[in-house]
Amino acid sequence: MDVAFLIEALPRLLPGLWLTVQLSLLGLGLAALIGLPLGVLRSETSSRPTTWLIDGYVFVVRGTPILVQVYAAYFLLPMIGLTLSPFWTGIVALVFNSAGYQIEIARAALQSLETGQREGARALGLTDDLVLRKVLLPQAWPRMLPALANEASNLVKASSVLSVIAVFELHKAANAVISQSYKFLEMLAAQAVLYVAFVVVLTQLAVWLERRAGLKTSVGLANR
Amino acid sequence: MLDLAFMAEIAPKMAAALWMTARISLLAVVLSILVGALLTAARMLGGRWARYAVVVFVEFTRGAPPLVHISIVYFLLPQFGLLLSEFWTGVVALSMVGAGYTVEIFRGAIESIPEGQSDASRALGLSPLQGFFLVLLPQATRRSLPPLTNELANVVKASSLLSVISVNELTKVANDLIFVHFVVIEVLIQLTALYLLIIGVLMAVSRWLEARLA
Repeated sequence: MDVAFLIEALPRLLPGLWLTVQLSLLGLGLAALIGLPLGVLRSETSSRPTTWLIDGYVFVVRGTPILVQVYAAYFLLPMIGLTLSPFWTGIVALVFNSAGYQIEIARAALQSLETGQREGARALGLTDDLVLRKVLLPQAWPRMLPALANEASNLVKASSVLSVIAVFELHKAANAVISQSYKFLEMLAAQAVLYVAFVVVLTQLAVWLERRAGLKTSVGLANR
Repeated sequence: MLDLAFMAEIAPKMAAALWMTARISLLAVVLSILVGALLTAARMLGGRWARYAVVVFVEFTRGAPPLVHISIVYFLLPQFGLLLSEFWTGVVALSMVGAGYTVEIFRGAIESIPEGQSDASRALGLSPLQGFFLVLLPQATRRSLPPLTNELANVVKASSLLSVISVNELTKVANDLIFVHFVVIEVLIQLTALYLLIIGVLMAVSRWLEARLA
């Protein structure tokens, strides 16, 4: 292990790490704006076509690799007249992917609540809207947190795939250094450590958020 | 409209690629279950150092992206004189990642088995190792089937990443077809349908197994 080289090359990885942070956090936030409301809709709606549409979307997202979704965004967006930079193409792909998983997270959390909660609120004379806003969602939210934390670290790892469409995130930046210097070991170790460190930071953040939300369970490191 | 003649024309190539994806995934799945079971045994029965080693391995496989693991296997094994083909490089990388996740699934399932089971196996004169493999693991297998299926679907999806080390699996072949013929939608539709097919079959097999084991 060439430590001197590692110290010299580390600054060249930092812009990549910063891009990875931006991609995963922006992707997570935008996907939450789309996915969580759709998940609530999926859980509450009685309309058949809506259910089919959302289920179909979730099935495609979960049944195909993220790489295929990235290629699809890369090839299809220009065909409908949307020529985006690699960064924003990547964001579109990540949001498409993560929204599908977040639909399931919101739906599962709502459906895990005891039915008595819904019936009790209804019996107290609350409207459907109030039942959802004042009774169900406040209880479902803490249950979504661990799964959302997992989803956040999945997104960090998924963002590495954007290297194939020339987004200069961490993996791509490390590969660029490797192809100039042939220092495999140093660069592989450095990027692995940076990825794991970022994921651990996110996990700890989630543990803290959960404790604040009054939940004592802890989360591990993600599912892909 | 869709060019159906073209879709029929590329079908044999896509089918060959599907077979490659299926073979790699199947090998990786079997290996990751075997390695995962062994590492779980080391984690739960081994000494302090064995435990630490497994924990570090798990955090490493779950904390870094599969693409990084593929690069590690691809670049580092030759440095130690291990020259594998792209196919086997892919199998090793996917098994490594899969094993990390499988350890956690098995451990979770085993810890959910009542303690009396392991006490009873000790009382019957089984060694800790026999108790683990003959009593705990078989019971844990049933409980870990649903999360395991999820993980196996992840292995299939992760196999798409092997396109970067030019394994001729589904995604690589589809991408090449797009660049040769400049036909996008037809290829992407076929690609998506084939992945959904594999994952669908996997889920069906798992449901069948679950029903049989229950």
